[in-house]
Amino acid sequence: MEILQHFDVIVVGAGLAGMRAALEIDPDLRVAVVSKVYPVRSHSVAAQGGINAAIDPEDKWQDHAFDTIKGSDYLADQDAAELMCEDAPRVVYEMEHWGTIFSRRPDGRIAQRSFGGQGYPRACYAADKTGRALYQTLFEQSIRRQITVLKEFFVVSIATAHGQVAGVVCIEIRTGTVVGLAAKSVIIATGGAGMMYARTTNPYINSGDGMAMAYRAGVPLKDMEFIQFHPTTLPGMNVLITEGARGEGAYLYNRDHERFMERYAPKLMEVAPRDIVSRAIETEISEGRGFDGDYVLLDLRHLGENIIKHRLSEIYDFALTYKGINPIYEPIPVQPGQHYMMGGIATDKHGATELPGLYAAGECAAVSVHGANRLGANSLLDTLVFGRQAGIQASQFVRKNPGVDFPSADLTRQQDMISRVKAAGRREPYGAIRRELRETMTQYVGTFRDEPRLTKALKTVRALQDRYAEAGIQDQGDVFNYDLLAYIETGFLLDLAEIVTVGALARKESRGAHARIDYPDRDDAQFLRHFLFTPDGRRDEPVVITHYQPKERKY
Amino acid sequence: MSEEIVLSIFRGDAAGGQEVEYRVPLTPGMVVLDAVHQVQAHQAQDLAVRWNCKAAHCGSCGAEINGHPKLLCKTRLDDYVGETVHIRPMQTFPIIKDLVADVSWNFEVAKKVPAFQPSVPVPFKMQQFDVDRIQEFHHCIECFLCQDVCHVLRDHNAKDQYFGPRFMVKMAEFEMHPRDGGDRVPMLAHEAGLNMCNVTKCCTEVCPQHIRITDNAIIPLKERVADQYWDPLRALFRKKKAPAATGQSVQG
Ligand SMILES: Cc1cc2nc3c(=O)[nH]c(=O)nc-3n(C[C@H](O)[C@H](O)[C@H](O)COP(=O)(O)OP(=O)(O)OC[C@H]3O[C@@H](n4cnc5c(N)ncnc54)[C@H](O)[C@@H]3O)c2cc1C
Ligand code: SF4
Ligand code: SF4
Ligand code: FES
Repeated sequence: MEILQHFDVIVVGAGLAGMRAALEIDPDLRVAVVSKVYPVRSHSVAAQGGINAAIDPEDKWQDHAFDTIKGSDYLADQDAAELMCEDAPRVVYEMEHWGTIFSRRPDGRIAQRSFGGQGYPRACYAADKTGRALYQTLFEQSIRRQITVLKEFFVVSIATAHGQVAGVVCIEIRTGTVVGLAAKSVIIATGGAGMMYARTTNPYINSGDGMAMAYRAGVPLKDMEFIQFHPTTLPGMNVLITEGARGEGAYLYNRDHERFMERYAPKLMEVAPRDIVSRAIETEISEGRGFDGDYVLLDLRHLGENIIKHRLSEIYDFALTYKGINPIYEPIPVQPGQHYMMGGIATDKHGATELPGLYAAGECAAVSVHGANRLGANSLLDTLVFGRQAGIQASQFVRKNPGVDFPSADLTRQQDMISRVKAAGRREPYGAIRRELRETMTQYVGTFRDEPRLTKALKTVRALQDRYAEAGIQDQGDVFNYDLLAYIETGFLLDLAEIVTVGALARKESRGAHARIDYPDRDDAQFLRHFLFTPDGRRDEPVVITHYQPKERKY
Repeated sequence: MSEEIVLSIFRGDAAGGQEVEYRVPLTPGMVVLDAVHQVQAHQAQDLAVRWNCKAAHCGSCGAEINGHPKLLCKTRLDDYVGETVHIRPMQTFPIIKDLVADVSWNFEVAKKVPAFQPSVPVPFKMQQFDVDRIQEFHHCIECFLCQDVCHVLRDHNAKDQYFGPRFMVKMAEFEMHPRDGGDRVPMLAHEAGLNMCNVTKCCTEVCPQHIRITDNAIIPLKERVADQYWDPLRALFRKKKAPAATGQSVQG
């Protein structure tokens, strides 16, 4: 146990949002980025499809804002969506200036492709490696700026004192030591929480740590019931098949060889927004027009070998490696899987939370620009726009606030907890609890929801929480004790699963990704508002409307 | 019942250790990482292994399977039916625990590579043709399997003399950027140790992302070094010519 160095700003998370935030901290301030994995392993690198920006002379950022707001089913805060879309062209050119190599048009400018729910092809991309290309650029800039990165440090809690943030408590994975990092300001950028679901496109580290830590520190979580299911994932491991494939013109077929999207979104067809395509696929499957094993087919064949091998190379590689299918000659099986959390730590449009000194950005935050449904290629944009905002704000906060003493009792508490779960492991290991949680969420809190299923889920989650309180781990060691980390992550997931389910039960309407069979319509009179959850309960806030009055969302 | 597969996994740390055998049921399409997880879930909860994406995205799970550097999550077990599958951590780097190697040296090398330096203001105009060859390098997931296999680093432990293939890819990415104004050739010729590579192509063979490391990064870089140091006139010509080939003009 030790308190390591005092920092001005600690950034938790080394994905795009965290890295971008760190780059914006004034160079004379002491900043460190903390990540539970090597930074380049962060999930941002997996993003394939693109980043939206109205950079074409024919396009307008106001149209981008409108598409984002309509896509959000009018739950986005319109001032925040406008801020993001107006800033987008600057973001793209800043990244180009730092070295990101975007794919080109024949006239040499940055190429753009269509993504679901966008009225104009405005996703800039780097082949199908957009996230990686952007990430490598930021990583290089972080080296150039000599930003300290604490690698393989697992943050377990946010420390507070006198109603202000005081730093974070973490476990150094390599040694198992409990370490306190004192800081005047903390930016949370820990990404999503897909591990709550059995079928997810997210990697193992996306366990919602930052959201749960903020919640435990009394900071509200917003709009948690809105969870995006990506329509096209490979059954089994649920690897993502990028929307770029449909953007390039791929077709979806059911077992009767119908392009069934005709029935659900006759205008946009396959490039309709994700919630609509996911529900269309689920409906086809549940009405018996899917294939055995719960899937439909995505057909790329007419795109030709060149496009498949070059612009969609990853899909080509995945389908071949994991399914033995060559997409040049055969369609690929696809099914929906959890993909993105629209909800998260409630922030204002500059990344500030209610706790002085605490900021949040990226997928773990809800600004909210995505509302009830995020449009493809808007998330990478979100990380870069609001990561920067959080960095600016944290720098200013530090200038004005001297900071508070680190509560060293937090370290003792963490150490005691570790000893306790090591001892408890001989009774019930947490592994089964985690599996049951993920199955429960996939079965009962998925694409289609209703009161009986949600009630059942809530009961199960609460029972799992009780079991978790008694459970423990088996690995008694200190070095690289992944058993311990997974145990802690399971606790985070259980907290979040309860909030998601409670929110989904209370929201008696259908909006965006939240589809209630028992309340199939949107109900603006009652529910055009954000739900904010803290350990004390729920509180509602109005949605910010600037120029765009809610209309029916039709494609 | 289904077939069983026998895994022999290294257990130990810097002080030493040995392989331990585990048996797990084989299911169709199973990858080595799935089998390692089975072992972790039921037989050895304290087995340390890095992984994350399970989809060959994140580069966490590099190890040596029957002596060959591979990603645990991209290696199918049906290729090994009837054999014992020996799994060891990467040998070129110090071991921490079980399958976890200390790859931090690579990130120290990363710090030495000078970043992209724009030669003109954005927005750039560039041709896809010129960008294609760099986009190949974006496929790198920094698994360091190429670093692991490269005999310069592995057998000769010349980590102080050669950056290794991964960083030749990185430097090629910048050097070939049509709008980069930096010059990394002196570094390639000296500190980065490009001449240590004798083009055995082992790195290309193990790259899970199919990057043609030797043909498309190392050899062109060697040519640049040769030009600049042995044929300064050609080097000048090459530098001048690069923008012309892009069809170009600068501002947009
Ligand atoms: C397969 C896939 C493809 C996608 N494609 C696109 C796309 O084309 N366009 C688009 O706009 N969006 C896309 N998205 C969404 C987008 O990639 C993510 O929302 C975004 O990258 C999240 O970035 P982030 O910086 O918020 O978090 P992440 O990149 O997830 O980073 C989180 C960081 O937090 C750290 N961390 C987490 N918990 C802890 C802890 N307890 N202690 C210490 N560190 C911790 C992690 O180590 C990591 O560094 C895609 C998502 C998926 C799953
Ligand atoms: S080609 Fe060069 S870099 Fe690659 S393995 Fe051989 S010596 Fe190493
Ligand atoms: S070049 Fe290939 S083998 Fe080397 S680190 Fe990158 S992906 Fe891995
Ligand atoms: S787990 Fe990510 S590369 Fe294997």
